[in-house]
Amino acid sequence: MHEITALQYALEKRGRRPIVVVEKPVLATGRTSDMPVVCNLTASRALVARALGINDHRSAAPIYAKKTGTPIAPKVVSANDAPVQEIVHEGAAADLTLLPALKQHTFDPGPYLTAAHATTYDPDTGVDNTAIQRCWIKGPGRMSYYPYPASHNNRNMRKFWARGQDCPVVFWIGHHPAVLMGTQAKLGYPESHWSACGGLIGAPLRVVPSRTFGDKIMVPADAEIVIEGYALKDQSEADGPFGEYTGYSGPQVAAPVVQVTCMTRRKNALYHDYGSGLTDMLVPDNMAMEGKVYSLVKAVAPSLVNVHVPAQGRRFHAYLQFAKPGPGEVRDGLAAALAYRRLKMVIAVDDDIDLFDDSEMMFALATRVQWSRDSFTIDGLSGSLLDPSTAAGAKTLSKMAIDATFPLPPSPGAPSPVPPRSKVPDAALTAAAKVLAGVETADWPTL
Amino acid sequence: MSKPVIEHIPAGAPWEKTGNTSWTQCPSCKGWFHVGPGILNRPEVKLHCPHCGCDFAQSEAARIIKAG
Repeated sequence: MHEITALQYALEKRGRRPIVVVEKPVLATGRTSDMPVVCNLTASRALVARALGINDHRSAAPIYAKKTGTPIAPKVVSANDAPVQEIVHEGAAADLTLLPALKQHTFDPGPYLTAAHATTYDPDTGVDNTAIQRCWIKGPGRMSYYPYPASHNNRNMRKFWARGQDCPVVFWIGHHPAVLMGTQAKLGYPESHWSACGGLIGAPLRVVPSRTFGDKIMVPADAEIVIEGYALKDQSEADGPFGEYTGYSGPQVAAPVVQVTCMTRRKNALYHDYGSGLTDMLVPDNMAMEGKVYSLVKAVAPSLVNVHVPAQGRRFHAYLQFAKPGPGEVRDGLAAALAYRRLKMVIAVDDDIDLFDDSEMMFALATRVQWSRDSFTIDGLSGSLLDPSTAAGAKTLSKMAIDATFPLPPSPGAPSPVPPRSKVPDAALTAAAKVLAGVETADWPTL
Repeated sequence: MSKPVIEHIPAGAPWEKTGNTSWTQCPSCKGWFHVGPGILNRPEVKLHCPHCGCDFAQSEAARIIKAG
């Protein structure tokens, strides 16, 4: 079952990001599944932006921040109006091994659900939470489930366990990419993702009571597949190693065990898989991060105009773009971004630098930074301990900010006290483009 | 089976890189795989070899090399 993930790697190597559909996937047992696998659904920033109704992916950060910050409450529909409950398998009839779950990377011990949106609720307030969290299918009705220790789902689970109860949990798989993006909104605790989804899609998200938990846990009515069950109190088993977003294989951990009570699905369900650590998974998460970072930084630095969280930086890097920042504003913005747990390095640039072009970012770093003056590090901030560079036993990270902006003009209307960028007139560029139009350049050297 | 000797990678000076990943060796197939500090702190949870599928207690591991 590594072949589908291998295809994604091959496509990435070629710089191509199409959606991949495998109509007749072969299961680990050798049997062919009738349920198609869809992957690479969100590998392309351009396609994800289009799914959100955004013309240019470069403008996603402020739009995502605005839409998810304008919540629309979900709409509850009946089971008869919920495609995801067209087929219901309860008890022993619910068989996880019939799903075409993939074994992606060499150290992965078995087939994993990688696009399972785990929904739990806070027993104190009843507010639900949703996050993509991995599950290793261990048997027909049993899987390990790894809610990262800092996650809101983990907090909910521990609250149930502290009451001596198993934790109700529902996993739903597959939906419109805009809904998938909505569930990646970075919210406070406790705060439901359904309303952020509604804001992003501009309409109430249709939800239906789950079969096992009723209206205590709703599920998206238009999802493809739902798995319902309990994270068993104080039961842990080995989970992983697992290929992570860092591009490295994360270590084996002790993870909760889920006992499945019910599975529902559409009649012609598609099974969605995220290529873990590939742009397929990084792009939607990073675009959602752009919205979060935009909101955080904009609150202290109004001259912020854009944010890019590049896939090649995993989740650790962010680029901030400013237009005519006031004194201290860039550093205020850099400090605000560093406080966001996921980020480890933040670079600020001017609005003449293309945030989405690494050669432009390197140009800014090469020509606008004196390191002792324009960079600062802060130790002891929260961050991802999956970062292979952290010290053994560390609980916090060392983070860095770089101000790669130029100084402002000394007075309004005056030129900045820096040299102008070299350029040729626009008319000459247009003429050059005409010269090259229609010329075959495929054999010309690129390096 | 006798308890394996847990080998520790000694911590160096703050500017020296020592890595952060612990490894264990399967007693059955002798394959190595990496394990987090959380599971090593819970000896009641059996380890699972991703190479051969064998479940075994920490005390049964062929070797454990612990970072930190």
